[in-house]
Amino acid sequence: MTNDPEHSRIERILAGEQHLYAEMVDKYKSYAYTIAQKILQNRPDAEEATQDAFIKAYHHLKGFNRESKFSTWLYRIVFNTAISYKRKNKQQFQSLENTFVEYRGEGEGMLEKTDRKKFLNLAMAKLNEADRTALSLFYLQEFSLEEIAEITGMPANTAKVRIHRARLRLADELKNILNKEALTL
Amino acid sequence: MRKVSESVEEMLLDYLDGNLTKADKEKVEKNLQEIPAWRARYEELRSANSVLAEIKLEHPSKNFTASVMSKLNLYQAPRSFSLWNSVRVLAGVLVAVGITTVLLAGGLYDNSNTSIDLNQIEIPKQLVKTPLPSFEFSGKLIVNIIIILNLAIAWIVLDRAILKPFFQRRMEAGH
Repeated sequence: MTNDPEHSRIERILAGEQHLYAEMVDKYKSYAYTIAQKILQNRPDAEEATQDAFIKAYHHLKGFNRESKFSTWLYRIVFNTAISYKRKNKQQFQSLENTFVEYRGEGEGMLEKTDRKKFLNLAMAKLNEADRTALSLFYLQEFSLEEIAEITGMPANTAKVRIHRARLRLADELKNILNKEALTL
Repeated sequence: MRKVSESVEEMLLDYLDGNLTKADKEKVEKNLQEIPAWRARYEELRSANSVLAEIKLEHPSKNFTASVMSKLNLYQAPRSFSLWNSVRVLAGVLVAVGITTVLLAGGLYDNSNTSIDLNQIEIPKQLVKTPLPSFEFSGKLIVNIIIILNLAIAWIVLDRAILKPFFQRRMEAGH
């Protein structure tokens, strides 16, 4: 059992203080949403999947066995829920050619940054969901390799190798994309 | 240009992450100066690393928490044939197969043959000019077919109503 400070809050929620769950949603929603967004690459679906995951987590709180951190357990539910959404809505997802890239009209000064984001999204779309999520969590620098492995369902002893391979693959994909871009100039 | 080996790539990533010992770090820096292939791959990885640094935490809509809280009590567990009911159905089918097999092996159906003679049906003679055939049915064959069909049903119940929901729930519960 871990000494997660969330355990006492969970006990109170289970005892009937439902409103405390709002504090937990507030605390974890951004990381949860980021995970769903990396898998679904679509904002409305990511929002819906994340909400669904929080609701599922609430109704399964009793089954949370306290052996891992609450956050890791929750993000694993988010990961699985997003994967289920992706499978259900597969036909609605874009191919690589029209991968979702968000432009926010930030002016010409932001062009380079927007391009970098676009290239990153294109290269990331070439990876599978687990590698994409693992890589994102790794670069957010908030998770240990063990936590990343637990969230994405990778065996813990292979997480580092998987992430390294994903980084190498991404480097190759970026090189290809940049070469193609250069040819079209 | 010759590509670098996987172990070199691993080392370059560890160098980028600052995870090397002092000795290894010096070795990598020396090779980066002397070996063009190392330098080229390092530049690619460093460039990818800087692009990956663009990954930032994303935020859901402003009413996200309120929306979740308003839906908490509307949640209904997916209705499905419960796992235990499925196990009971499977057990019932297997018990039926077991009993039938024991009776079959005991020879109960060995002499239960029957035949259907179509000539016994009362049909006006002007409509039938040649004698109609008769069909022999072996009770043993019919029971064997029923056992095979039951085994097929048991297999489907095990796969669709027990194993699939079981692993799906495990996946969704995140265990």
